[in-house]
Order: sequence, then structure tokens, then C-alpha cells
Amino acid sequence: MAALTQAAAGHAPARPARLDLSRPIIFTFAAILCVLIVLPLSWLFYYGFVDRAGNFTLGNFRQLVSDRAFVDPLITTFILATTASIVCCAVAAPIGWLVARTDMPVRGFVRLLVTASFVTPPFLGAIAWELLAAPNSGLLNRAFRAVTGAPQDEYLFNIYSFPGLIFVISCYTFPYVFVLVANSLDRIPGDLEDASSILGGKTWTTARRITIPLALPALLAGALVAFLQSMTLFGSPAILALPAGFHTMTTKIWSLFQYPPKPELAAAASLPLLVLTVVLLRAEHMVLGRRGYSVLGGKGAEPRLVRLKFLRWPALAVCLFVLLNPVFLPYGALLNATFSKVATQIVTPQNFTFHNIEFVFFELSATKLALKNTFILGAATATIGTLIALVISYVTARKAVTGHRALGFLATAPVAIPGIVLGVGLFLSYTRPPFILYGTLWILLIAFVTISLPVAYQQLQSAIRAVHSDLEDASRILGATRLQALSHITAPLLRTSVIATWCFVFVGVMRELSAAIMLFTSETKVISVLIFDLNESGDLAAISVLGLFMLIVTFATVMLANRVPGFGGGIRLRNH
Amino acid sequence: MALVELRGLSKHYGSLAAVDNISLKVAHGLLVCLLGPSGCGKTTTLRLIAGFVEPSGGQIHVGDRIVSSPERTLPPEQRNMSMIFQSYALWPHMTVAENVAYGLTLRKIDRETIAKKLSAILSTTKLQAFADRYPGELSGGQQQRVALARALIVEPETLLLDEPLSNLDANLREEMRFEVRRLHDTYRYTTVYVTHDQSEAMTTADLIAVMNGGKIEQAGSPEEIYDRPRSEFVARFIGSSNVVKGKNLDQSRISFAGAALRCDGATLVAGGETAISIRQHDIRLLSTAPQSEENVVPAVVVRQVFMGGTRDYMVEAKDGTQLRVLAPAEQNIETGAPVWLHLPPERCRALMG
Amino acid sequence: MRGWKFSRRDIIKGSAALAASAYAAPIRAQAPASEAVTPALVEAAKKEGKVVWYTSVDLPVAEKIAKAFEARYPGVAPRVERSGAERVFQRIGQEYGSRIYAADVVNSSDAAHFIVWKRDGLLAPYVPEDVAKHYPADHKDADGMFATWRAWLSVIGYNTDLVKREDAPKSFADLLDPKWTGKIVKAHPGYSGTILTATFQMARDLGWEYFEKLAKQKIMQVQSSADPPKKLSLGERAVMADGNEYNMFLLKESGRPVEIVYPTEGSPLIIGPNGIFKNAPNPNAARLFQSWMFTIEAQQMAIEIGGLRSFHALAKEKPGRKPLKEIKLMKDDAAAVEKQGEDIKARYTQLFRV
Repeated sequence: MAALTQAAAGHAPARPARLDLSRPIIFTFAAILCVLIVLPLSWLFYYGFVDRAGNFTLGNFRQLVSDRAFVDPLITTFILATTASIVCCAVAAPIGWLVARTDMPVRGFVRLLVTASFVTPPFLGAIAWELLAAPNSGLLNRAFRAVTGAPQDEYLFNIYSFPGLIFVISCYTFPYVFVLVANSLDRIPGDLEDASSILGGKTWTTARRITIPLALPALLAGALVAFLQSMTLFGSPAILALPAGFHTMTTKIWSLFQYPPKPELAAAASLPLLVLTVVLLRAEHMVLGRRGYSVLGGKGAEPRLVRLKFLRWPALAVCLFVLLNPVFLPYGALLNATFSKVATQIVTPQNFTFHNIEFVFFELSATKLALKNTFILGAATATIGTLIALVISYVTARKAVTGHRALGFLATAPVAIPGIVLGVGLFLSYTRPPFILYGTLWILLIAFVTISLPVAYQQLQSAIRAVHSDLEDASRILGATRLQALSHITAPLLRTSVIATWCFVFVGVMRELSAAIMLFTSETKVISVLIFDLNESGDLAAISVLGLFMLIVTFATVMLANRVPGFGGGIRLRNH
Repeated sequence: MALVELRGLSKHYGSLAAVDNISLKVAHGLLVCLLGPSGCGKTTTLRLIAGFVEPSGGQIHVGDRIVSSPERTLPPEQRNMSMIFQSYALWPHMTVAENVAYGLTLRKIDRETIAKKLSAILSTTKLQAFADRYPGELSGGQQQRVALARALIVEPETLLLDEPLSNLDANLREEMRFEVRRLHDTYRYTTVYVTHDQSEAMTTADLIAVMNGGKIEQAGSPEEIYDRPRSEFVARFIGSSNVVKGKNLDQSRISFAGAALRCDGATLVAGGETAISIRQHDIRLLSTAPQSEENVVPAVVVRQVFMGGTRDYMVEAKDGTQLRVLAPAEQNIETGAPVWLHLPPERCRALMG
Repeated sequence: MRGWKFSRRDIIKGSAALAASAYAAPIRAQAPASEAVTPALVEAAKKEGKVVWYTSVDLPVAEKIAKAFEARYPGVAPRVERSGAERVFQRIGQEYGSRIYAADVVNSSDAAHFIVWKRDGLLAPYVPEDVAKHYPADHKDADGMFATWRAWLSVIGYNTDLVKREDAPKSFADLLDPKWTGKIVKAHPGYSGTILTATFQMARDLGWEYFEKLAKQKIMQVQSSADPPKKLSLGERAVMADGNEYNMFLLKESGRPVEIVYPTEGSPLIIGPNGIFKNAPNPNAARLFQSWMFTIEAQQMAIEIGGLRSFHALAKEKPGRKPLKEIKLMKDDAAAVEKQGEDIKARYTQLFRV
């Protein structure tokens, strides 16, 4: 024993007090987060309250509430978000219940399909639905006319309409509600239901009186999240609302940057979105507590499954029918357009072509650069974002420094900033000294890191919490330094979560459009913006090729992340 | 050598004092138990000793070194201590052998020695068969032994245990108490053992420090703590004594429920009020009034339960004070019947404060 | 406008008489001399390796032209940066505002942009040999800053599967017929230079009442002037109220069921000049590209595979397409567009609500 003791007697060389080490950390990261979040928002507020000459004014807001060009989109957006939120709940709640609490067949597969609609970029879904349900050329409307013999100008669906937009937005927003509801149903321990049964409650009574009320807060929170998503979405309305002849708030803000740009109005118009988002997130927080953001944790008692009996297969049929809309039909339409000479004609041997693929990958000179930019930004954002989130979540989970709460708050704050608002803020911040970053990939990197920070932080914080601090302490007391403990114990245990987080941030970057659309230049175009550009000139086939490529990369990444064990499905991706 | 001494040690979190100016000296090779209810500061004290927490005041000495003071704190890895955690803190990504050998590999010891020591400790802790398993594949008791082996293999100067048995079921816990003591007797490391279970402390410790509200209420041998509690808290916490209060009659007697009680342990100040403690099994229950009235209190049976070896009575004195009495099983007095309690003076401990 | 005057001649008689008023009197004493392509220029261009062309011409056409250039000068890779002309204009403004100089050569379907860029001193003078030799004076800038690289019309069109020839609209006025309600597709002047130019000419000649009535026809609003022909081709709408003639040529010639109508009121003529930016990151490649773009080889290619029209003296129109001189045209007036552009967009947005 004596052989192993430190030889040093008296005062062993004491390392510097921990405070000295932690101060630089907290200051550095607080500074990073401030630059990321506080700077753009400050400029946003500044611009909102000044006129062109830089004098204080409320004129921008006055115009906002008096000019019909702003009031109409505001009302439209409100109705849109409310309706979409209701539709999402109406669809997601039953499916969530069927998947989590019944003996419906292939429940895992249904979950997988919901995940697929979760990671599908909404703007891509909107374009696919153009192919499907444009009133005259849409595949579904053609099929309808072919079957019923209806005249040429009759149609079943018109995607270029307010209901059409609500439908498409709901298609790619309902997974948010689904995840919240299904996870909360997963978490309800079986014994709560058993307690009801023992008192004489029949299966259905128990479901109605116990299970569903317990899941209600999650549903309410889901409704709020769906409202938020629909309100802040840019791509789908830009693609579907403009042909239909109306604006939403996001497209209106974007249009204010057309020549001649009116940044002060854009800033003023962004602020209501920001305020509303903050309010709704507070509401969600109150409804749900912290759980809303966290990945599904360990389950208690095994949940009890309701026996559907003869309804099992009909229930599955309903689920699959619903999932036709976000998954099967759009993917089919994109696949069809990829190989068809005419985007909205069914592929036949006569009009089968590889030309679209050839065009996108060999003729379109913007493709290469956009792919390169997207992958660089995706990888850089995922790496930097994961790293920042890792440090911050370590600091907050271990309460390693005083002020860790503030760091945690800053890291979650971007959740409350809609992408388009952040885009406007960053544009205002980085087109002027001292930071002229506009036109470089840096500005996009900043935007993407900011946007993905909350997701990464939530993921990693719960992962670090799962690694009990005793595990590190056990290593320390046996003789490991803090760094050794981190590298021997914490790092290997977090590796899987870190990889998974990296993957999800990467996927999130690929589908980001609303901030990118404000910040790109010709040299810094990304795939999502390229797709949006192609849509403006009506090159649907090229979009289909790029879109499918994007989906393939997305699914490959998601599969990589899901192969990593111990990673639940409750990922919150931003949906723009 | 590894004498551990706390001198006026304090730890404040904001205005809250988790550990409030405690002093304790643990001689080399002794096993001291920090005993107290949750939130009493015992775990914080342990983490102060380990170096995970920096003190707000006071010092910790180990051997002839000052390892902790508000000015400088030696990091845990430089203290040559071992610790067993309540959660065991076994690393799920390492096998049993890797877990146990970890401390040795950090010390850059050659493979052969490591293998030898590993095999020795695994056999001592009866874990040879599980060397290549992962912690997740072991039962609670086996995990507990891995944690022990991992802590012991580095031959620490000081061994720290944080409620090491609280996650085990009752039978295993009993068994492991003796195991801990046996291993301690084998290796004789200076050991600090944190627990809230008084019987665990009784069976394992050389020295018990009862903690409450961040302070050490009483420190002493198990016998001393049990037989001569100095405060109402210790009396109640250790072996759940009856505590009765009354006005001091003279230097050694108080008045309680109309009777005079002679007691031991302190010189009473006339006119003051004193609490005295007496253990449940030290009270004699009489169904008829005794001749001697010294230390006899009349009471009524409120309820009684047959416990197998004994009978557990709840009785009520005239002033409404309820006392628990453990009587022989064959002594069966029905509820509502009058009884006389004899409290032997040598068993009545006057408490301080 | 700093003392330069705009030609406002009557122009119905033919291309030579088409005064594109973007081409004003010189501001310098002497126009720069034309420059031939020298081996030194080619070498310098190859060293730069790429050229960035901001354009609003339909993407597949632009990419074909770019590929042809690269085939002619291997080692100089053009990158096409295509967007609607108004977006290109906004983008360049935004980029230059932040001192980002990404554009080498710019082509716009809104000739008014070149007035602004020239006035702001953003353009570099460069006169390719072909421009000096073969281009009419009213299609090249007197100061050698830009020249008409392409010209085309904004036309009415219909899908022949959906509309019989005899039922097809003959004029802009015909589009106001209730039978077309919900069947019209139309591009946006806030995005497309072609449409901004056309909207100006139509508002001038037909009055804003025309648009007020058209706005009640439940049109499908798309962005690019290249999109309405594509929507016709897909059968998404039966009729287009405006859109690129050249896309219609290309679709029709590839067998798609679309047909052009040159409205009886006259078709808006669109001029698409090409110019080099002074801060071009690849100045030599820019010159080489600009030179080649005005060669008869490139111009004829723009006609054949692009469906465009050319003012190159040696260019031949493609048989089967209606020659420009047989078409009744509306008068181009880039200077007026420059002045009224903002108003037009605002008014349009008010009427069509997007």
C-alpha cells in the first residue's frame, strides 16, 4: 500500500482552484451564444423601431396593423396555423394511440413511416403534392377524370388553394403531435390502467377514462407545437400560396426583401412571429413541463395493449391510408417525375428517360456547388453544433460552473426564433461592419448552428444526465484526472448519442430553407435553395431528382443514427 | 499514516450550510460510520473527504497532508483514496475485469502484477467466474462485490463508502454488512462509511458519528452511542428510544406524569426541564401496582401486538404521553387495562439540550 | 438621368427600327474600340478557370449555351446562376452592398437594369468583335458596356389538347372572357424581368383596367416567365396570359401540345442585354465569354436550341417560326421601365394580392 501512495508529503502540488478553469469556459461559451442569438435579435429590434434615416418610429408597426397587405397575411397565417394544428391533432392522436396502446399489426412499421414523414423536407412534400394534385395536371386529378370520365376542367383536389396548403402543411407537421402523444402514451405505466381494471373498468372504459386523459397534456402541447410549425413554415406556403394568390406572414417577410428591399418592415413583421413563438413555447412548457423536449426515457411497467380484435386490420388500413399522404403518394410522384419525360405523366416505356438525372448531375452547373456547400455546411454545423451543445450540456448537467443555468437557457433560446426571423436578423447583423459575413458560408453556418443548437442540446443533455456523475467520480477517485475520466468513461458512454445527434443535425441542415433563403448568395447556395429556385422556373423534373437524392441521403443518415443503440424516436427537428 | 481528520469543516451552498463546522478524528485503520437521516450532510462530508467538493471553511487532513481547505483542494485523483458509490458506478462499457483493473492501469503498473492482483481480488470477492461479464449482466449483489473489488485493488490509504448496501435486498444486505467488516479486518484501511441504517452502522463501525442538520450530534463507539445517547435526536434515531420530559425536582430526578423519575447521565439543575430517554425493552410492565414507588409510572394499555418473541405495547401515561414497551410474549394484558411501568433509574438517560 | 436622352421612335416596321431605349447616347467622347479574342486572353481565361454568368434565361437553355462555351474553350467552366431577372437584380444589389463581387457576366431580361448598373458605374466597357461588326447601333451601348445578347417576345399561349384552335384567344382582350376564368396561368413582374417589361408595355398600351379585369379571372400566379409555358405543357392550365415565346417554341418543337398566339394588340418585345461587371472576379474569362456569346456560332445556337431571336446581322431565323418582322410588336422603353418599375410591381401586387 505504501508503495502506491504519493511520495509528496505536506502540501501536495495543488492544482488551481476549479473556478479559474471554469470562468473562461463560461465566458467563451456565453460570448459565442450571445453572438449567435442576441446579436441578430438586437438588430431585428433596432430595425423594427427606426425609419430609413435611423430615427425612432412606430411607423413600421403602424403600417403592419393598418396596411391590408400585412393584415391579410397575418389573418391568413392565424387561420392556417389554427386549422393545421386541429387537423394534426385529429390525425396524430388516434394513430399515436393505435401505435402505442393497441395490438394493431406492424406498429413498428407505422412508426417508421411517421418518422419518414418527419424527416421529409416540407417544401419537397409541397412540390410533390403539386405533381399529385395540381387541379388539371395533377396525377390524382387525371386518375379521377380517367376513372369517372369527368370533363377536362373538373378536378378532385386543388393543391393551389388555402385548404390545399393546410393539407400539405398538416402532412408534415402531424408527426410532431404524433411523437409527443405516442411518447406520452408509452410512458403511462400499465399499472395505472390495471388499477382501473381491478375496480371494474372495462378495457374501453379504462382507455377512455384513464389513458386518454393522461395523454391530454401531450396532445395540447402537440397542438401548440403544430401551431408554431405551421405559423413559421416558409417553403410550403411559398410554393403553394403564391400560385393561389395569397401570402402568409413568412412569404410576406421574404417578399419584403425583393427589390427595393424594405428591411425595416421585414424586421417589424418578424417581431410578432417571434413574440407569438415565445408565448406559445411558454404555454407548451407549462402544459408539458420539461418532458416535451426530452427523448422518451425508460418505460415503467410495460404498457397494456388494448385488444382491437376484428378491428386490428381495419385500424392498420386507416393508418396506412393516412400515411399515403405524407409518404407513399409524394415519394411515388417524385420517383415518377424523375424518370418521366413529362413530370406529371405516368412513366411508360415510351416516355421513360434518364435525361432528368443526367441534367441535374451533369448539365446543371449549380448542382455541384450546391451539393458541396450543403455537405460542407451540414458536416460543419453538425460538428460545431454538437461540440458546443456537448460542452454546454456537460456544464449544465454536471452543474460544473456557476451560471450554468444561463448557458442552458441561451442554448434552448433559438427554439423560439422562427427560421425566417433568424434569417432576417442575421442578414441585418452580418451585412455591416464589424462582421461582414454575408456572401460567405460562415453566415449560413451561424444560422444553421443557431437553429440546431436546441435540438443538439436537448439530446446531449439527456444523454449526459443518463451517464451518472458517479461514473466519472469513481474514475477520479481511483486516480484519473478530469480529462482522463472524460476520455475513459464519459466519452465512450456518450459516443452513441453524439453520433446520433450529429446525424440529426446534419439532416436538419439539409432540409433548412427558411433561414437559407434569406442568407444565400450565388456562391453559397445550398440544395434546399436550389430546389426552391428550380420551382420558381417550373423545373419539376429536376426538383424530383434532387429531392429524391436528398431523401436518400437523409434516410441513410437517419438509419445510421438509429442503428446507434439507445436512441429514442423523440427527435425534434425544425420543420422549415 | 492515514489518519483522517476533519477540523472545523464547513460547506455552504448559498445561505444553506450542508456541513456546519464539524470536527472528527479517525485513527488509522478504523472504520468510522457517518450515520444520519437523509439530508443530514453525511454524503457531503464524504464528498468533501474525497475531494469532489471544496470546503467553505475548515480543513481536512490525511496523514500529515492538508488535502482540503478553502484555499486549495487536492483533486480526488491525487488523494490515494477509493470510494464505493451508492449506485456502484460500475462502467457499463467495461467488463468486470476491466472495471476492477482500471485503477491499476492508471497507475501504470505492469501487466503481470495487474493480472496477479486482479485474480487475487476476484477470488477474495468470489467473482472469478464473472471476470468477462459486463456489469449489466450481473445481479445486484455481484455488482456490489465488483464495486468493492475495484475499490480495494488499488490498496488505498482511505476507503470511502457511500451507502453501499442500500440498493440490496434485506437478506443480502445483512450478509454484506459482515462482508464489509470482514474485508476491513483483512485490509485495515482507514474507512469512512456513510449510512442512514443504524443497524448497519452498529455491525460494521468502530466509531459512529451521528449527524443531524450538518452537525455531528455525537461521536463514539457503537456501545457508547447506543447506551449513552447525549441528545434526544440520537436517542430517537438509534434504537428508537422513548423520550419523556419533565420538570427537574433535584439533581437527579424529574417529575413525569405525577411520578418522580431518577435518572443517570447528567447533573440536573433545579427548576429546569429535562428530557430523558429509555429504551423500549428496558421498561418493565406490571399488571399490579408494585410496592416500591420509585420510578414507577401508572398507565393504561392503548393497544398491543403479538410479535412472536415479544409483545409490543403502546401505553398512555396520565398526562397523555404515549410510550412503547417491549414485553415478553407471554405477558398478555388486554387493551384498556391499567398497568404500572417501572423505568430502572440506571436505564433512564438524561439528555442534553 | 444625368443628361442622356432616350430614343423614343415609332417602331413597328422591323427589328432595325426597334429602338431599345436602354441604348442611349454615349457618356464618353469615344466608344471603346472592339477587341478580338487573342490567344493571350484565352490563356488568361484558362488560368482563371471559370466564369460566373448571372442570367434569367431559362435554365436548360442557359446550361446548353454554357456547355457549348466550355466545349469551345475547354478549361474555362461557366457556372450558370439563374434566377428571375428581378431577383438577379436584387441579388446583385444585395451582394454589391456587402462588397461581394461574384458576378462576371450578367444577362437580364429587364433592360432597365443595365441603365441602373451603368449609371452606378458597375459595368466594365468591352466591345466584342462581333458586336462592333455585326450589331445594329441601337442594340449596343454607345459606351461599349453591354449589347443585346437575346431578344424574344412575351406571348399568349394555349394547350392544344385542352383548347381548340378556333376557341383559342386571339388577343389580350379575349382573355377577359369568363370562359377562361380559372384556366389562365400568368407569371409575376416582381420576379421576372420579361413580365415586368411586358406589364409596363401592356399597362401603357391597354391601360391598368386590363389588369384589374384580368385579376378577377382567378389566374394561377407563377413566378418565372419560363413557367407558364411549362404549366401549359403539363396541361395544368389551358391558357397563358404571358410567358416566354422561346419556351413555347422549344416545347412545341419537341412535340408538346402547345401553341403560340401573337395577340392582336401587339406582343411585348423583350430585350436581354449581356454585360461584364467591373468587379468581375474572373475578368479575362468574362471577356472571353462575352466575346463568344456574340459570335454568330453562339447566336445561331441561341436561336436553334434556345428559341431566342438575335440582332446579329448574319443570324438566320429558324424556319417554321414566325419571323419577327411579321409580328406586331409593342414598343420597348427600358428607361420608362427603370423609372416606373417599382410602381408597376406595387400596383400589380395590389391587384393580384401576391
